[in-house]
Amino acid sequence: MISYPRWLEDTAHTPRLRLIGVGNAGVHIADRIARLASCDIETVALNSDQHSLNNSSASTRIALGPMTTHGLGAGGDAETGLEAAKESLKEILTAIDGADVLLICAGLGGGTGGPTTALIAKLGKERGALPLAIVTSPFRFEGRRRATQATEALDELKKHADAIVHFENDRMADFAEAGQEAAKTFAACDELLAGAIKTLACVTKGGGPLPVSLPDLISILRHSGDGCVFGSGSADGVGRAELALEEALRSPLLDNGRLLKDGVEVLVHISGPANIAFLEVAKIMQGVSKHIAEKTNLHLTLSAGEETIPLTVALIGRTGAVEARPLPPREQPTIQQPAIQMAVPEDDPARPTPKTVAPKIRQENLPLDPIAKGRFDKSEPTMFEGEDLDIPTFIRRKLLR
Amino acid sequence: MARDKLHVGLEIGTTKVCAVVAESRPNGELRLLGVGESPSRGVRKGEIVDFTNASKCVHDALADAEDRSDREIDRVWLGITGGHIHGFNHRNSATLAAESEITESEIEEVECKEQDLGIPKDHLMLHSIIQRYYVDGQEGVIDPRGMFGSRLEADFHIIHGIANRIHNAVRCVKEFEIDVVDIVVNSVASAQVVLNDHQKRAGALIVDIGGGTTDFLVYQDGAIRHSGVIAIGGDHITNDLCIGLRIPIARAEKLKIEEGSTVVEGIKPSDRITLKNDTGFSGKEVDRRTLNLIIHARLHELFTILRKRVQEAVPEHLLGAGILLTGGCSLTPGIREVAESVFQGTPVNLAHAQSVSGPASAFENPQLSTCIGLTRYAQVVHSQMPETSMFDSFLKQISSKLKIV
Repeated sequence: MISYPRWLEDTAHTPRLRLIGVGNAGVHIADRIARLASCDIETVALNSDQHSLNNSSASTRIALGPMTTHGLGAGGDAETGLEAAKESLKEILTAIDGADVLLICAGLGGGTGGPTTALIAKLGKERGALPLAIVTSPFRFEGRRRATQATEALDELKKHADAIVHFENDRMADFAEAGQEAAKTFAACDELLAGAIKTLACVTKGGGPLPVSLPDLISILRHSGDGCVFGSGSADGVGRAELALEEALRSPLLDNGRLLKDGVEVLVHISGPANIAFLEVAKIMQGVSKHIAEKTNLHLTLSAGEETIPLTVALIGRTGAVEARPLPPREQPTIQQPAIQMAVPEDDPARPTPKTVAPKIRQENLPLDPIAKGRFDKSEPTMFEGEDLDIPTFIRRKLLR
Repeated sequence: MARDKLHVGLEIGTTKVCAVVAESRPNGELRLLGVGESPSRGVRKGEIVDFTNASKCVHDALADAEDRSDREIDRVWLGITGGHIHGFNHRNSATLAAESEITESEIEEVECKEQDLGIPKDHLMLHSIIQRYYVDGQEGVIDPRGMFGSRLEADFHIIHGIANRIHNAVRCVKEFEIDVVDIVVNSVASAQVVLNDHQKRAGALIVDIGGGTTDFLVYQDGAIRHSGVIAIGGDHITNDLCIGLRIPIARAEKLKIEEGSTVVEGIKPSDRITLKNDTGFSGKEVDRRTLNLIIHARLHELFTILRKRVQEAVPEHLLGAGILLTGGCSLTPGIREVAESVFQGTPVNLAHAQSVSGPASAFENPQLSTCIGLTRYAQVVHSQMPETSMFDSFLKQISSKLKIV
């Protein structure tokens, strides 16, 4: 059964958006949005690292687990991050209270962002809000441990969030030029996510001659945990329709338009000045339909009127099976996932909180002892998914002794 | 002018440098005349790291091939590999003058131009191999010549690699005033002799596990769909054994060839292999189970990586003719079973060069698949060439664009 969020019953009410940045990466992205968003949006920064919070420009700033981490961050450890989040449960609840749509952004590889995002999504959903997560997974070169943490966090998040826009940092290599400064590359990545969130926010706000109906949006985004594809582009002047569409299709989040083919539901959101011609809309839709599969359900929304902004095309799609996926069981955390099991504050404090021990995350391949590569010591390493394949397999897999 | 009937394939491998001399008969038969070999030095993971030593080995192998075949070699087809080689699919399109007949010039227009492909500037395009054409959106056109249409599109498989490394290999040969007719990627060459037309149509994955690299190529519907190189090979197994069993590299290599296997189950703990003493090596007993475990781990991992790479482009169930293993490493006992355990449900077979004649010891040796494939590639390219006296000058230009199916 599909349960609609509370605010759907009250049609006069405009949805309240809240943007929550979790962890270092999340706070960064939230800051960027707050700077560029034209839709008014409340921002909340949540982090276990006090230093990052101090630099944030979010309207609400909440330190996670001051007793657990002493404001020094989770140190990349998911267990500590979860511990910190549990400690500051009350603060988290006040942060999400009253919002109808929660845009949660975070980097999943770290200690704070990973586990806390899933927790917020869960709590948000319980309170009838629509949690949408915009997350990044770490670069391969950041090592296996962060990759494992990110996968676990994503699996957990899939159970709770209504939509996940998932961006693999590794795809960044596609649009970073060889000589580009690292800071610029990271900024470009943040920029991209910020753009995604801004558009999502604008779409949920609605308005315009052909507004997105909320049931539509929910049907597109709900259960999109399997994969939400996203691309946006904007252009001005002559041929703006084609240019904007091209830019949207070229988005790295769409894998250069290839992922759109797998979309079962695709929403095309066109926004811009009042003088958008019908022909331009038709052109864009024709262009999009070339890139989607036959059975894809295509939705169009149009909001025109704001004079200052250029013509913007946003493509939001859900990939995966057409049927609604059965919801995974909530109550049984599997062994690999750091279990989130919380006592809500209203509960009797005397009752002992069921304590679930999160599995220890092992450190693998920490290059502490000199790595035996034998004759390949001096040759160019063969890397695959962050592993140096020149090191004997039996050592990496710890097969002997 | 008489046609060049002699084709020489040269592969500068990690373990050995090898040259195959073959003769193309008027009836299309390809006959091996001689194989020259020389143990390789100065090559790691398929790439030249010590130029002087590597070119010496090239010289020895070519001299050996001349002796054995009793022919003089003046030009070779050079096989190339290395982790820097990548393949991808690309579609090109051309809008034609209204409702015109498609001729050579239109087909030329749709061919890939290196500068339009977006491959890195320091890379060189090695192959652009036609997969299929589309005329006005009509799919699966094999030969559009003579058809009418207003829009011609074509899918290509592009293979490219780092230009400097490729040029180094070419220079290694040119040292001896021997011409390199063309450069062919190893997997493309091997596929020419290992796969038959039926397998190419049904869909097949050919895996050539050599000393330094594993070259793979996927055929589907008669066209190359995917290709790549993983810089892992038999050398890695030797190195693993050297580290795991604490024996010298040369002994590890010998042990791998003589005793190595991937079978881990059913070995008694008491089963030990005695290595005889040698100068600088006091002899040792090694545990057979440990030996096989190390080999199994490496090969299992290799196939796992391979599976991931193949799935990027082609789902396994489309490999109707299954997987064909060739190259020196395919001689490892039990390797088929390892591959089958990774690619579950897909048949795996060992393969060597087919449809060539000559000494069986040569073409039945999977180590020579690439080299023999180079001569077959040369033969196919030649047979598609128009018979003009000027063809030599065009050869270089045309050969990389020709249709090799």
